[in-house]
This record gives sequence, C-alpha cells and structure tokens, in this order.
Amino acid sequence: MAATETTGKVAPEPIKAEPPSVTKYFALVEVVLRFLLFASALVAVLVLVTSKQTKRLQFPPFPLVITMTAKFNQSPAFIYLVAALSVTGFYAVISTLLSFYSLLKPGYFTKALSHFVVLDVLLLGILASATGAAGGVAYIGLKGDSQVGWMKVFNIYGKFCRHVGASIAISLFGSIVLVLLVLLSVYSLSKKIPK
Amino acid sequence: MESQYKTGNNGGIETGANYTTNGRGSEVAVANKKSFRGWDFVLRLLALALSLAAAVVLGVNKQTTTMPVSLVPSLPPVNVPVTAKFHYLSAFTYLVVANAIAGGYAVISLLLALANRRGNKAISLLTMILDLAMVALLFSAIGASLAVGLIGYKGNSHVRWDKVCNVFGRFCHQVAASVALTAASAGAFFLLVILIVFNLHKRH
Repeated sequence: MAATETTGKVAPEPIKAEPPSVTKYFALVEVVLRFLLFASALVAVLVLVTSKQTKRLQFPPFPLVITMTAKFNQSPAFIYLVAALSVTGFYAVISTLLSFYSLLKPGYFTKALSHFVVLDVLLLGILASATGAAGGVAYIGLKGDSQVGWMKVFNIYGKFCRHVGASIAISLFGSIVLVLLVLLSVYSLSKKIPK
Repeated sequence: MESQYKTGNNGGIETGANYTTNGRGSEVAVANKKSFRGWDFVLRLLALALSLAAAVVLGVNKQTTTMPVSLVPSLPPVNVPVTAKFHYLSAFTYLVVANAIAGGYAVISLLLALANRRGNKAISLLTMILDLAMVALLFSAIGASLAVGLIGYKGNSHVRWDKVCNVFGRFCHQVAASVALTAASAGAFFLLVILIVFNLHKRH
C-alpha cells in the first residue's frame, strides 16, 4: 500500500534529475512513513477508546437482569496501550511536519531530523511493550486460563473483543512502520557518508 | 535492495582507503572504530548473559504450595497442594522463548562480529536490522509478562480474575526478577542500535 503510494508520487521526480535525488527520495518516503505512523496511531486510539460495550444478561426463570460493561480502562494494559499510542501519535505529528518542511525547503531541520532516529527506537520499544501488554491480556481474555482460574470473557463481549483485536493489530502495524523508519534513517545516513 | 546495497558497500571500502591516505583522518576513524567495537562486544556479551539468566530464572520457576479449601463450611478447611509453573500462562512462555531467541542471536552476532573485523557493511547492516528486531521482540515480551503479572499481583475485579500472588509468593518474585533481567537485556540491544547510529553520525 505504502509502496504504490510513494512510487505514484515519486514517478515525475527523475525528470528534474537533481544530483541529490536519492536523498530526496528517502526524505519523501520518510514523510509518507511518518504520516502512516500518525494515521495508524490515531486510528488505533479511536478504535480502542470507542470499544465500550454494555451487555444485559438475563436468566429466564428469574426476573433478574444484570448489566455488565466492558471498557478499555478496566485493564491497566489497555490504558497503557492508549497512552503509548497517544504519545506515538503526538510525536508522529511533530516529526511529520518537520520532515515535510525539510522536504519542501532542503537544509532546514536536517540536524534535528537526524537525531529523531534515537526517539524512533525509543518509541519502538514503548509501542512494542504496549502492544505486547495488551496482546497478553487480550489472549487471556480470549482463551481464559484454567490453571489459575481466570475464565475467558471475550465470548460475552463481541464488539469489545473485535475493537481490542483491531486496535492491537493496528498498533502492531505502527511498530512495523517505526522499524522501517529506523532502517530508512540508518540506511540514508550510511548513504550520505562523504566519499 | 541487495544490488543498491552492494554499491553502498563499495563506497564504504573506498572511504576507508581515503582515510588511510589522509593521515590524520585515519587515526580518528580507527580510534572511533576501535572504541565502538569494544563497546559492541561488551554489550553483546551483556545481552547474552542477561537473556540467558532471564530465560533460566523463569524456566525453572515452579512453586508448589498448599491452599486451604473449605469444601463444607462446618468442617475445617482441607489443605490442597497447588502448583504454579511458568508455562501455565502463555505470556510467560512467550518471555522464555523471546529470551532464548535473543540469547541465541547474541551468540551468533558475537561470532559474526568476531569474523567481521574488517567492517563488511552488509554484515553490519544485517546485525543492525536483527538488533532492532530483538529490541521489538524483547520489549513486547516484557510488556506481555508485565501486564499478565500485574493481573496476578492485583487481580481484576471487573472480569473477576482473582489475584494469585498472595498464594505463590516466590513464583511472582521470580517472574519479576526475570522481567527485570529481560528489561536490562533489551536495554543492551537498544544501546547497540543507538551506538550504530552515533557511529554513523560521527563519520558523517
């Protein structure tokens, strides 16, 4: 998806035939990847925050109705995922704007952008641990654990389960985008070593 | 990707040649490289030891205690032996496997670093990519074990998952120790990636 998008945009680029076309190509890919990171973080946060589900349980012989609510803030792991995704999204906005500006006017923020790779690795760690945390809890919710006596709960909540799963999948995609960003930064740095 | 990379590789070798003809520049470059290599070895050894320790600490984790269970309220409670093992919870299995993979990779990368003294860029890029993968793998395993361990420690009243750490004290402490060791190992891999980036910056 990303590849086709970038190649579509880049296609008219070689006509200008500037000497630093390789670095410009890298810069464009970086902007697209950072925007993808922002979009995935935003979507994942929205999907997880809107996962609230209220279920009314009835037991036919009795006139008793129990309402049960599932919400993301009932588990610390999901709160952590929301916080990590928010931080990632906020960082992605800033870095997208900076890298876009330096794409339009080459030479600006180059020094600052080259230091972003450290923050990228740091955020990769945070986002990966948050995804792992949410995934670990969601797996117990999905399968249950008979040894410890934790029963599965996701068979009760359909919508909540789908939202949590989608959010974890999207944040996994965000982690992969972060890995690609770090690799791109390192690769373009090693390309720019003066000969 | 591969062919592009080859050209970059040649460029890197040329740079080295240029540096050696330059005189003063060569000393700086070699000094940087040497100090970097030393840290590289130390961090890889550290990561290997920490990952191995974390895997062993969690892998041998097994505790059997007796839990009083009152079957009939009028009778005194019966003591039932209960056992906790790490593979009862899939998150802990994931932590052990991730640590084993990281430890195995640390050994391989140490051998590669020993074989790659001349600084072949293809191998160093490959190790960098795999270092990054280890950062992601170890951090996700830490997150999973920490979240599941937190449920074990505090319980979750909303879905009626009872806490178990009041019964299995030693088991929980061992899990916490393993998570801490894994965090240190992940930090070592993190520093390895940062060191590669800084080294590139210096030569920039």
